[in-house]
Amino acid sequence: MTAIDSAPDAVAARAAARLDAPAKVTGAAQYAADVQVMGLLHARPVLSPHAHARILSIDVAEARGIAGVVAVLLAADLPIEGATGSRAFEPLARSEVVFAGQPVALVVAESEAAAEDGAEAVAVEYEVLPEVLDVEQAIKPGSPLTRLEGGAAADEMEMHTEVTASEQVGDAEPVSGNVIGRYNHADGDVAGAFALCAAVAEGRFRTQWVHQAYLEPQAAVAWVDPDGRLVVHSSTQGHFFVRGLLSRVLGLPVAKIRVVGATLGGAFGGKIGLLEPLVAAAALVLHRPVRIVLTRGEDFAAANPAPGCVIDVRIGATADGTLAALDARIIMDAGAFSEYGGAALASGRIGGPYRWRTWRVATLGVTTNRFGAGAYRAPSAPQTAFALESLIDELATQLGMDAIELRLRNVPDAGERRIDGARWPGIGLRQVLDTARAHPMWTGRTALPPGEGVGVASGLFPGGRQGAGAVCRLETDGTLVVSVGAIDMSGTGTGFAGIAAETFGVPIEKVSVITPDTDSAPPATLSGGSMVTYSVGPAVAAAAAQARDQLLRLAAQEMEIDPTDLEIVDGRVRPVGSPTLGVELSTIAAKTGGFGAPYAPVTGSASALPPELAPSACVNIVHVRVDADTGGVAVLGHVAIQDVGHAINPALCQGQMRGGAAQGIGWALYEQLVHDESGHLLTGSFLNYAVPRSEQVAPIETIIVEVPAPFGPLGAKGIGESAVVPGAGAVANAIKAATGVRMHELPMTAARIWHATQTR
Amino acid sequence: MIPAAFDYVRAATFDDAFSALADPDAKVIAGGLSLLPMMKLRLARPTQLVDIAPLGLSGIDADADGTRVGALTTYAELLSASRGNGHGLGAIADCAARVGDLQVRNAGTVGGGVAHADPASDLAAGVLAMEARVVLRSPRGTREVDAADFFVGPFTTALDQVELLVELRVPHPQPNQGSAYVSVEDPASGYPIAGAAVRIRRDGDRIVACTVGITGAAGHPFRAQRVEELIVHGNVPTVAELHGAFADLHAMSDVIAGAAYRRHLAAVVVHRAATRAFDNALPRGAR
Repeated sequence: MTAIDSAPDAVAARAAARLDAPAKVTGAAQYAADVQVMGLLHARPVLSPHAHARILSIDVAEARGIAGVVAVLLAADLPIEGATGSRAFEPLARSEVVFAGQPVALVVAESEAAAEDGAEAVAVEYEVLPEVLDVEQAIKPGSPLTRLEGGAAADEMEMHTEVTASEQVGDAEPVSGNVIGRYNHADGDVAGAFALCAAVAEGRFRTQWVHQAYLEPQAAVAWVDPDGRLVVHSSTQGHFFVRGLLSRVLGLPVAKIRVVGATLGGAFGGKIGLLEPLVAAAALVLHRPVRIVLTRGEDFAAANPAPGCVIDVRIGATADGTLAALDARIIMDAGAFSEYGGAALASGRIGGPYRWRTWRVATLGVTTNRFGAGAYRAPSAPQTAFALESLIDELATQLGMDAIELRLRNVPDAGERRIDGARWPGIGLRQVLDTARAHPMWTGRTALPPGEGVGVASGLFPGGRQGAGAVCRLETDGTLVVSVGAIDMSGTGTGFAGIAAETFGVPIEKVSVITPDTDSAPPATLSGGSMVTYSVGPAVAAAAAQARDQLLRLAAQEMEIDPTDLEIVDGRVRPVGSPTLGVELSTIAAKTGGFGAPYAPVTGSASALPPELAPSACVNIVHVRVDADTGGVAVLGHVAIQDVGHAINPALCQGQMRGGAAQGIGWALYEQLVHDESGHLLTGSFLNYAVPRSEQVAPIETIIVEVPAPFGPLGAKGIGESAVVPGAGAVANAIKAATGVRMHELPMTAARIWHATQTR
Repeated sequence: MIPAAFDYVRAATFDDAFSALADPDAKVIAGGLSLLPMMKLRLARPTQLVDIAPLGLSGIDADADGTRVGALTTYAELLSASRGNGHGLGAIADCAARVGDLQVRNAGTVGGGVAHADPASDLAAGVLAMEARVVLRSPRGTREVDAADFFVGPFTTALDQVELLVELRVPHPQPNQGSAYVSVEDPASGYPIAGAAVRIRRDGDRIVACTVGITGAAGHPFRAQRVEELIVHGNVPTVAELHGAFADLHAMSDVIAGAAYRRHLAAVVVHRAATRAFDNALPRGAR
């Protein structure tokens, strides 16, 4: 793939290869499934074929009789109590299954083959119950219920961003018991504002469930150490999060649990904590190590993909392009459990990165018998941005205004209110849009052959923040080891190495970064919410600065000079501005360890919590050609422009931008989890769940914009999630430009586009 | 992803193979690219696999009747032998080029693909349009079946249980004959949602003979006789003209393409393949 990338030379010079790349490229990396332990047992789940059913009986006799099968565990066998309706507390269905793919039993055997034979031999008798699949039907009073037994608690997932308290605005719509959350935001006289608008656009937009499609399926291994402590290795974005989850679910003190985060083989939000309670419970019951690695089919059926939604939205602008009114109603699928709060996130996101004069947003979170829902890179944002950015495009057309100019006129200033009541920090959207407006793909958009079009969209994810610690240790050979509690995801460890290198004054090759187990690592929450570099980075910088101060004091003693007159440049400690003087870092470092060492070891330790969010704005420009005969879309060009605050490692930033753009193409054109009318998954394999492949992704040009974040490490922002947000809207707007047809449903498959062009 | 237990028989002779296949739950394995994934998903659970690799069924050669393609010839070998339209395999080579990816084409076999009879087999369209004959051998002897009679249903063919597909016989090309294969692929599987192989013989600008093989669109690959009648003795029809010829097609419907869209795509791929075949039907210098 050709890539054309723009970054100032000084920025490009910071590019460094990922520290984790050699092990991953050569196959040396150890994933959770590679953990070798004596006496390991293999587990295979038995999945419900029904979307909603009562379990009448489970006959395990035949399975138990298969050679090599050690146990067949049912819900009642697990040391877990309470909280029906919560997925974590119900890793095996108790008496009622609430989605097709839900595990109802776990066969544990001496070999993978025996486990699979055993799983096939478990006979479950079900009484099928009415399934709830359609969110619009599900909210209606009198709708069948997703779950008959146990209540659903209010949804509660707020880890990916800070969700402000929602405000009830007297939405009196009567709803069914499937509705588990209502999030309303309103301000001003919306109807009055629409009356004054020169342009009004509206539409009903739908998106489907989408799987994170990580390469490595969900995997976890658990055993009990001789001292009685539970040990879990898992493919997770947050080993501290998993430890807390296991403590709650299994009723064990955290001190009795040790979690090791294995090398992640892709996660994208989908690996926050899923299999660990099940595999840990099995190990506790059987007193032997147990491993579970989902097959791809099981992962499609039984994991935690991102939910679909229905969005009705109407927006209006005055003649000068001021966004005056936003009226939206969102029904967000919550899946079959209560843990995931996509509705709360959607409610705040529907306003996009814009200033509104008036708004009225009502969002419902509703359970269905589809999946257990989970987070996926910028939860709820690609869906809401698809709807909003499509309509912004329509407003621009109505007003006869450049679509980027319209967006520019509505960029909020720092301190202005978001629609969810929070205050906007400074965002770099203006600079990003200015860059987009000058790009040749945008300025050349009117000179294209028939059937081609260029579209633009903005995206922004507010991200989260977390308190975190870091330790920076100088080894006696002059290298640095940075220890963090954040799981290395998408190269974050290499980013920390860059922060430590730049802070301390050594080449990045001299820094290694480790994430020890939960016994030893400095604290962190999890890797997600665009908050890894942004939140853990400051602790790394502070720890590296401390270590540097300690080292300089030693060097000052050594050289009999005031420490403030010293600097560290390229691994050498020297008087400021005297390149020929000074000593090698390794010379001093050698004196900090070993028998008779004259100096105490150099170890910086710090923790930090950024006081505010620092969202990263991203704009995509996409050039498509639509085949009028087939409806097929070819993406011919793709420009990703993003404010990263400060590119600690531009190669990693570009990787995030390209990956986000490619996943945006997936949202736009290909990805959908589809059930039949009974709730059976029709797209449970990569044979029918389409992801964009290399030949379907155009060369992605990345343009890095740097508007420093006041509290980010070296000015950096959290960039992972915003990168995926604008893609679907940009493609939709490009399709409109190419064909004149406005698409209202994701993914915009060839068939949907062809049908839309036939009926326009 | 572990198959149910099965036995494995490596057939040294045809008689070995036939006696193993007397077990009604035995299956022949060649490249295994379709059968093994189905077994791993436990969608297929043969009691034994009969490996016919030792039977010497690979290779391409020609005689007076046409080109003979051995059943165990891989797609890659077929493509290699067809470079520059070698052996005159025409659309069959076009189809083979669209099968899977390089690894699949290196291991997958022509006979295995034809005998598997996937409703969306790329190769089947070319085999139909090129009027290949399928050579079958059993303890009763050898018989030849027209491709048009070979595919009888989804994953169902004219093959008996105790019978092996041993080779394809493809007639030599006629003068002024051209062929082409065009498909629209499912973005997930890469299998055709609709694919058409068209063989055309021209007399000047007039089409004097036409054969059309369709795959992906219906329950099994088939010869589209109404389409052939529409094309022959005329020009390449437009997509709109072709719609009528597919109006009664009992089209497949799935997540990626409903029946109406598939019928439409069938017309589109026939139009595109016929246009290319028409262009190919003149000697290179005359185009």
